[in-house]
Amino acid sequence: MTELTVVSGGLREPSSTRLLADRLAASAATHLSQLGLSVNTRIVELRPLARSIADAMTLGFANAELEEAYETVASADGLIAVTPAFNASYGGLFKSFFDVLPEESLTDMPVLIGATGGTERHSLVLEHALRPLFSYLRAVVSPTGVYAATEDFGVTSDQPPLDDRVDRAGADFARLLSSCGQRVRRSAFDEEAARMERLLNP
Amino acid sequence: MSAMQFGIFTVGDVTPDPTTGRAPTEHERIMATVAIAEKAEEVGLDVFATGEHHNPPFVCSSPTTLLGYLAARTNRLVFSTSTTLITTNDPVKIAEDFSVLQHLSGGRVDVMLGRGNTGPVYPWFGEDIRQAVPLTVEKYALLRRLWREEVVDWEGQFRTPLHGFTLAPQPLDGVPPFVWHGSIRTPEIAELAAFHGDGFFANHIFWPASHTERMVQFYRRRFEHYGHGTAAQAIVGLGGQVFMRRNSQDAVDEFRPYFDVAPVYGHGPSLEEFSEQTPLTVGSPQQVVEKTLGFKEYVGDYQRQLFLVDHAGLPLKTVLEQLDLLGEVVATLRVEMEKDRPADVPDAPTHDSLLAASRKDTEDD
Repeated sequence: MTELTVVSGGLREPSSTRLLADRLAASAATHLSQLGLSVNTRIVELRPLARSIADAMTLGFANAELEEAYETVASADGLIAVTPAFNASYGGLFKSFFDVLPEESLTDMPVLIGATGGTERHSLVLEHALRPLFSYLRAVVSPTGVYAATEDFGVTSDQPPLDDRVDRAGADFARLLSSCGQRVRRSAFDEEAARMERLLNP
Repeated sequence: MSAMQFGIFTVGDVTPDPTTGRAPTEHERIMATVAIAEKAEEVGLDVFATGEHHNPPFVCSSPTTLLGYLAARTNRLVFSTSTTLITTNDPVKIAEDFSVLQHLSGGRVDVMLGRGNTGPVYPWFGEDIRQAVPLTVEKYALLRRLWREEVVDWEGQFRTPLHGFTLAPQPLDGVPPFVWHGSIRTPEIAELAAFHGDGFFANHIFWPASHTERMVQFYRRRFEHYGHGTAAQAIVGLGGQVFMRRNSQDAVDEFRPYFDVAPVYGHGPSLEEFSEQTPLTVGSPQQVVEKTLGFKEYVGDYQRQLFLVDHAGLPLKTVLEQLDLLGEVVATLRVEMEKDRPADVPDAPTHDSLLAASRKDTEDD
């Protein structure tokens, strides 16, 4: 079973960010099943975790609810991460979640990035903000991300239809995820302890 | 002395009282610390430990000066630190300071080493925080030799070499102070403590119980791995944090304004949430007894329990009242903690117990 985790940083209800996240998840699942992989998808909505995330920032540790979200992300085989674009970047809540997420949680993790915004003029937020963030966290970012503007959800867009872009992103991500193979989780705790053992027993 | 030691540890902070806006002067804070330590002995506690910081708003830059003065004003209390910075202090100076303190206090001293997490402190003392781990390993290895070998020849990466160096004075009765290693977060310190067969002190108060459990159980496993005894025989200490009134609602009402703006955890979760997630207990003495007895459910039978009682701007008068209540709590805890304690779990190490052990070793040889 391939575990797919979706992180959605939308703040409104209903949320176009969640809408895009669901479409990307469905597309990825379809393409993964075509490659012979069965998929279990879990969603982490950040809005209900907003206070827990702020508390974790001031305090240094997570409450049980946020700890569960950490585990849902870190135990996945692949991640779909979608945020609204605010002020030329990802949303603050979205960034904050990845700031408090324990180290090594995303190492070697295939990630499909997505973003939403009021106009398509912000579409490069994917390349200038999300891709470097996940590269820094040592994730393997899928080459094709999807940006959806408000008008993509209507019929008047002169872009290739959103469904086509979602389908292509899902296909590319499925191919990446299946080629990466079984993901081995890394543990900062075990690695720190092992490093100390080597120093003490040269 | 019972199997376990109970005491208090201070970070030595000068924090304004949020209910009045008034901060004590540095002098007032230092003299308050003296009054608190004297009170700790009066109410029957075993241990007083002071932190070490080299920047405002703290007044505890010179722990052995404070502890030497306190040793002269007390008869029974054991002094420790929380923590002594092994990364930025010179191990030769640590060995000298604690050796003298041992002699002055009649052996009523041990030391808790930590690496310190204030970045700028490292360059002030010529060190680099990125080297914190190798600094800790090298400097502690030297400190152990200084306390154990009469003539030390040593060369390392982080200190000028020593050739033909002899520590003066030598440790009291030839027995070095017991060493604890204190950690908030990292398993590296647990590994270090286990490797040397030293005590491991989990700060405990800023983290959830699950984290402390994992760290302590890791230390216990590694203590056994390195052949110092069984996992259950490893030497464990825990922090705790309490505020008490006879009526538990009075405790909550009085402590809340201090909690809400406290350094480190203020402006975050509510007092109730924080109490649920961490060892903080705000309530009646009976509630403190119950919660503290729960600690050994996840760390096993242990040797030392220290409480934080004097931070966040609490006035001296209040802290002294807390100590009166803590004295009662500890009297109960001493009895309750002994129940079902296996015979092979060691008592808290003291100078006398270490001296007896070293004499036994000599006879055995």
